[in-house]
Amino acid sequence: MNEVEKIREELKKSGAERIVAFVKKENEPREVLAVLSQKDIDKVTFSPLSVNNPAKLLMQLNGKVAVVAKGCDAMAIRQLIKEGKLKRENLFIVGISCRGVIDYRKLSKIEKLSEIREVRLEGEEVVLKMRNGEKRIPFAEVIEENCLYCEHPTPVIYDVLIGEAREGRKDFSDLEKLEKMSREERWEYWISQFERCIRCHACRSVCPLCYCEECIVDPSNLAISPMSTAEDKASYPRLLGKTVNAKDNAIYHIIRVLHHAGRCSGCGECERACPMELPLRKLERKLEKVVKEVFGYDLNEDIPFFSKLDMLGD
Amino acid sequence: MRTSHSSQSLICWVIKMIYEGDFLKDAISNLLARGYKVFAPVKLGDFHLFREVKSAEEADFGYILPRNSAKIAVFPENEVLIKYSSWIDEIPFEETRIAIVGIKACDARAIKLLDKHFLEGFVDPYYKSRREKLLTVAITCEEPGINCFCQSFGINPRKPEADVVVSRIGGKTFVNAYSDAGKDFLSEFNLRNEGEEEARLRQNFERETLEMRKIEIDVEKLKKSFESSYWKEVAVNCKSCGVCTYLCPTCFCFDIYDEGEKKGVRIRAWDSCQFPLHTLESSSHNPRAEKWQRLRNRFYDKFYYALRKGDYYCVGCGRCIDFCPAGIDIVSVISGVR
Repeated sequence: MNEVEKIREELKKSGAERIVAFVKKENEPREVLAVLSQKDIDKVTFSPLSVNNPAKLLMQLNGKVAVVAKGCDAMAIRQLIKEGKLKRENLFIVGISCRGVIDYRKLSKIEKLSEIREVRLEGEEVVLKMRNGEKRIPFAEVIEENCLYCEHPTPVIYDVLIGEAREGRKDFSDLEKLEKMSREERWEYWISQFERCIRCHACRSVCPLCYCEECIVDPSNLAISPMSTAEDKASYPRLLGKTVNAKDNAIYHIIRVLHHAGRCSGCGECERACPMELPLRKLERKLEKVVKEVFGYDLNEDIPFFSKLDMLGD
Repeated sequence: MRTSHSSQSLICWVIKMIYEGDFLKDAISNLLARGYKVFAPVKLGDFHLFREVKSAEEADFGYILPRNSAKIAVFPENEVLIKYSSWIDEIPFEETRIAIVGIKACDARAIKLLDKHFLEGFVDPYYKSRREKLLTVAITCEEPGINCFCQSFGINPRKPEADVVVSRIGGKTFVNAYSDAGKDFLSEFNLRNEGEEEARLRQNFERETLEMRKIEIDVEKLKKSFESSYWKEVAVNCKSCGVCTYLCPTCFCFDIYDEGEKKGVRIRAWDSCQFPLHTLESSSHNPRAEKWQRLRNRFYDKFYYALRKGDYYCVGCGRCIDFCPAGIDIVSVISGVR
């Protein structure tokens, strides 16, 4: 039985009414997430182009749900359970021991996507089933950079595991280049990145941990209610304007990332979603490092980081 | 198809010439020297973005489509409407002439659609001040992107509706003018007439239909499906971000607000119908509080409500499909309405 067949079988066995899993996207070789019922189980598939994190989708579903989760997806699910956003007993997690996913944008530079029918991993190679014949490329050429530093390729939480457990990496060598820069160089680097941001808020919208209904960076009336006076409405707190400029954008991203201290699952959805290709994971990684090295917090602890900080404060 | 722009702009005279050299870059240099504000694709890493350029070297033309649309030249992400202190100090209008170099057929059609919105009926003076000074220099498409479907809207990717059209065919650069402004602009360059053989080459290139996706739009079905549970299914994975609307060349929604109390600026900035706050009323009622209502609105806006203006508000560039983080696909969604 291959990986996809195993996934289908376990989803079937779970008996869950609803299934969150990957299905093939029309017209493209990649997969997208879908909410399915047992009768659609044959649509379920999985490949190194099953990149998205299903955790956010789970939050809008009630009742028993079976979900396919890679290592980073499971990190997010566990975090949401920790934060009371998901109930463990409602989930049946089909964990996938993950070797990393393909960077779709990198792949599109190497091969014409419209020619690719199917993608699978074989050893260290990616096998591309093309419209005509087959092609092989080294996985290392197209793997998402984020996956190279993955600490938890094997799900930290699951009901059934598919594949052999794997070791992750624990170092932060990906940050060396930025850390070696002088403060001024680093500022320049980040401003040149943030300058591109169009504030579509995709990074926030896809992030499984950005679930606040009202976000502090929205230029909205946070205090509005039917009881608000005209004056209240006129003087609402506004942290950021809607204007797009490098410094406002920087504040948006820094505020967003700071709220992920000790929480980020490392799935990389923010970076994948960004149409302007901002290196958002680098911010999260730096924070992860600080949380680990300065505050001695381990993401695997049962108690959330912010709660622990409160306790330390006492 | 409803749209009929394409043939209108081709009437009267058309000059068809050949340029020896890098026309697009030389065009940028020429425009900059004459004081134009020039928008052109800049290569950043592996992708292109339309940006204002200060020299021809900044531009790069090796793309199927730049990631953002060319609408930023006439409808910028944010602009100052009024500068105020105790009273209005200044109403800044665009004084400089503007050019877009490297626009493709889809984005060029989109500007015509934006014209309908901003210039017919109520005339938006800020948009008008840019639009009437705009020169478009387009490039034809050699091949389509994976999610291109412009031909569904009667757009010919080999014949953009622009002032000047540049085609690179068989190592030769064909330069055609399709308007007075385009003709005037070409008088700045050393061009030679195309030969008979070259004319045939160009005509064949223009006539060739590209193999691309097709969208099936059934307006009657859309009319009947407003209350369908289909929209909830389609939106289940929608993240309510603004990627689709911000990359869309025809989306025109904006918000206006003041920055500064006693002294400041009134600003217009892009807004997205996908954001929950877009329709939040001061009574705290939100007519589109749920994400499926917002997503449905986007599709109805483009393919039904927009018909009041006489056209679908989609040009088939495929950016919203390529960059939707949830993989929502406008072609599948509209073709599959039930």
